[in-house]
Amino acid sequence: MSSAEETDEQEIAEKSDEGPGLLLWLTAAGGIGMLAAVFIFVPTERTEGIVQRIMYFHVPCAWVAFFAFFIVFICSILFLWRREREWDIYAHASAEVGMLFCSLVLITGPIWAKPIWGIWWTWDPRLTLTLVLWLIYAAYLMLRLQTGEGSTRAKYSAIIGIVGALDIPLIHFSVLWWGSQHPSPKIITSEGIGTGIDNSMGITLLVSLGAFTLIYFLLVSLRVNIEKMKDEIDRLKKQRLYSH
Amino acid sequence: MKNLGFLFAANLAIWGGIVFYVFTLMKRHRDLRRDLDLLKETLNKESSK
Repeated sequence: MSSAEETDEQEIAEKSDEGPGLLLWLTAAGGIGMLAAVFIFVPTERTEGIVQRIMYFHVPCAWVAFFAFFIVFICSILFLWRREREWDIYAHASAEVGMLFCSLVLITGPIWAKPIWGIWWTWDPRLTLTLVLWLIYAAYLMLRLQTGEGSTRAKYSAIIGIVGALDIPLIHFSVLWWGSQHPSPKIITSEGIGTGIDNSMGITLLVSLGAFTLIYFLLVSLRVNIEKMKDEIDRLKKQRLYSH
Repeated sequence: MKNLGFLFAANLAIWGGIVFYVFTLMKRHRDLRRDLDLLKETLNKESSK
């Protein structure tokens, strides 16, 4: 084993062992701040009552899912363009975390809808398109599980990653274009930013969005570490094979 | 406190989901760490022969 390879190996081992450090503490602080804002700071909404507090989790989950899939879109384009494994790793990690949050959106939405709309689910454009998004990235992750040549799999995954993200603007504008049982945007409206929501609710929502975004970065960094360790193991296995 | 159960269920789903995912990541990390250490040890033994 050459000294350069040993140094690379040590770097990966050290990085995977040292953990996320500052990001972990920031996420923990963000999480505590969010829970304090949601359960102590913000008053109970008049019409919906206590169940409206689900919004401070449901909306950030949707934001993180869309952001994660947007990152998949960017990293997939960069991978197809430059063919660097690094972009494939980030796309894969972001897709997995995005799927977690997209699943949470599809779980918390019906839990909020039942007491407010009286139904768990309706085939409304926004809800249906969100389910379609979930199915597209489920296919993406299933393709990732298939064995086969790494670069071919990465190439097809990248194409699905790009096509899937095109659903995100459709989801966002569906409530404006086709009408919907789902509420229209409240933060950014045609009258300006934050005009459709009370100040304390807006602040709480922003704190939640920040905290969930930090959770996203923490989970992606952990997932990227795992993928890099897998690559390192593959490299060492090949090295061992060729040395015999 | 009407509909408190729904708020509880939503929180349970979110935090339960995130914690479960973190545990799966930690398990995968631990298993890979063990494989990596074992592989390095084998390579070192083989190179010293």
